[in-house]
Amino acid sequence: MLKVMIVDSDLNRSKPLKQSLIDNGFEVIAHVGNDMALDSKCRELQPDVVIMDVDSPSRDTLENICVMSMYDARPIVMFSHDGDKAKIKAATQAGVSAYVVGTIPSERLTPVIDAAIARFEEFKNLRSELSLANTKLDERKVIERAKGLLMRQRNLDEDEAYSMLRSMAMQRKVKLADLASQLVEAAKMLIV
Amino acid sequence: MRDKNTTNVSQSESKAIDMVTSVDSTNNSRRGFFKQAIAGAFGAAAMINVMPEGLKNMAYAAGSDAPEITEVKIGFIPLTDCAPIVVAAEMGFDKKYGIKIVPTKEASWAAVRDKLINGELQGAHVLYGMMYGSQLGIGGQQKDMAVLMTLSNNGQGITLSNQLKDKGVKDGKSLKRVMDNENRDYTFAQTFPTGTHAMWLNYWLAANGIDPVKDVKNIVVPPPQMVANMRIGNMDGYCVGEPWNARAIYDKVGFSVATSQDIWVDHPEKVLGTTADFVAKNPNTARAMIMAVLEASRYIDATQNRAKVVDLISSKSYVNAPKDVIGGRFVGDYENGIGRKWKDPNYMKFFNDGAVSFPYLSDGMWFLTQHKRWGMLKSDPDYLGIAKKINQIGLYTEAATQLGVSVPKDPMRSSKLMDGIVWDGKNPAAYAAGFKIKV
Repeated sequence: MLKVMIVDSDLNRSKPLKQSLIDNGFEVIAHVGNDMALDSKCRELQPDVVIMDVDSPSRDTLENICVMSMYDARPIVMFSHDGDKAKIKAATQAGVSAYVVGTIPSERLTPVIDAAIARFEEFKNLRSELSLANTKLDERKVIERAKGLLMRQRNLDEDEAYSMLRSMAMQRKVKLADLASQLVEAAKMLIV
Repeated sequence: MRDKNTTNVSQSESKAIDMVTSVDSTNNSRRGFFKQAIAGAFGAAAMINVMPEGLKNMAYAAGSDAPEITEVKIGFIPLTDCAPIVVAAEMGFDKKYGIKIVPTKEASWAAVRDKLINGELQGAHVLYGMMYGSQLGIGGQQKDMAVLMTLSNNGQGITLSNQLKDKGVKDGKSLKRVMDNENRDYTFAQTFPTGTHAMWLNYWLAANGIDPVKDVKNIVVPPPQMVANMRIGNMDGYCVGEPWNARAIYDKVGFSVATSQDIWVDHPEKVLGTTADFVAKNPNTARAMIMAVLEASRYIDATQNRAKVVDLISSKSYVNAPKDVIGGRFVGDYENGIGRKWKDPNYMKFFNDGAVSFPYLSDGMWFLTQHKRWGMLKSDPDYLGIAKKINQIGLYTEAATQLGVSVPKDPMRSSKLMDGIVWDGKNPAAYAAGFKIKV
């Protein structure tokens, strides 16, 4: 069962939402106001989903948890009490906050939360793909630098330098990029 | 775009255009054509800055200058430094430039960002670093943002709890000592992960030998809730904008251990932000927004006007705090709550003869270096390229020139921060990698 935490400054107002979540088979583990200790509560209770008011000042608190610790970030579903379409659109387009629920009928709650989680996962994957791509780029840069070093110091041409790097890496059973960065680091120490 | 603009002008003229357009790499096509026409007609002397006043007015009167949108909603968070937005609207500086500014109070920075991006807000009082965070998609979707001008320098601060005071903490060194001796969790709050207060707090902690990532628990608390959270012992310290540091002293729940100007004199703080899309579609409105807010900033910085500004912003619809809590530090009258009172020459500045308002590229780049330093960016971004894209120096220069506000020649400035390290916009990657404490 999915564990849900509801954050709203007006607890009475979101009572119907809480009830329909329970009716739809969610476990509501917390229903809190714009709570002082929201941060630690979130870490403690480890909800699967956080549902919060789009106008809550605590949104930044949740954003911080998401940015600083992507790994235990939670999908955030937002709702607006006035069911304002513009607000819904805004939060769908930006931010970690995955999806927004207006005043939606109970039977649509589950698909909306599912969609929010799917969207959040997609965002998380995108992020890790991006950081993988950046790592690849960094690796290429360091290999280029190592190649340049060898070319200068051993008077090699580009192809020779590359195959020298590659065979050294194979002999030592390390990744080409790791070897390259060791080489660059070593060269730095020698120069200093 | 530059190439397109320079295709049908002579060699010497194209040089002049280069000089004009190189200031503004994100120049939109309409302004570009305008400049091209002028450069074509008058050659090098036609650079907008040196154009005779009469000619310039004629050119603008020709119909290219009317705001595309005449009513703009500008979002703000209840903080002392939202003053330029409030003053521009309340005192009618907006009408002088053919627009109506509707200040819109917002509850969170996340909401400000969302509404800028979906167009519900046309502009906002924003944390400098947050604009760069959105540009790079840190914690959200990537979106091209625009900084029209800087709204303020200085006037933020770090507050520590009375509990730490009782342990003998009075500065960074003694905090470090207490933290070394007494092993427990230390919690510090700021206002937004990529924003300014996170960066001031981290910088100050690190300069005092405390690793803000490993040694402390870092949380975000909305500014108006900082004091209440400290009172119930939820945290040991926080970094926030005024009046929420002064308020902690007023309410006797904490003391000021540092001001943000102690960290970096005349540091960039809030900006007038919007999206790149908005500027591309509405360059004239964007320029009118800069002019109205710039004139408001000039008004606020005049000492004799500050009391009136305090009256205006303290009201419930804006900052919603007592006048004497806002008013003291607003004119440089500081006390730290543990016995020191002083007149701070580097209090919150809004204009400073245009030095505050100019969107220096090096200011924007600095936030990127810190995002990199603290691991929010995994690799070095194109620091200069991104700053040139976001900071609307061309548009700002047009607006400032029309108001007779001086514009710095160099889009970089040099500052020495509290640890003695100089930031001048050169070698940003080396700067970011050069700190002893980093991720």
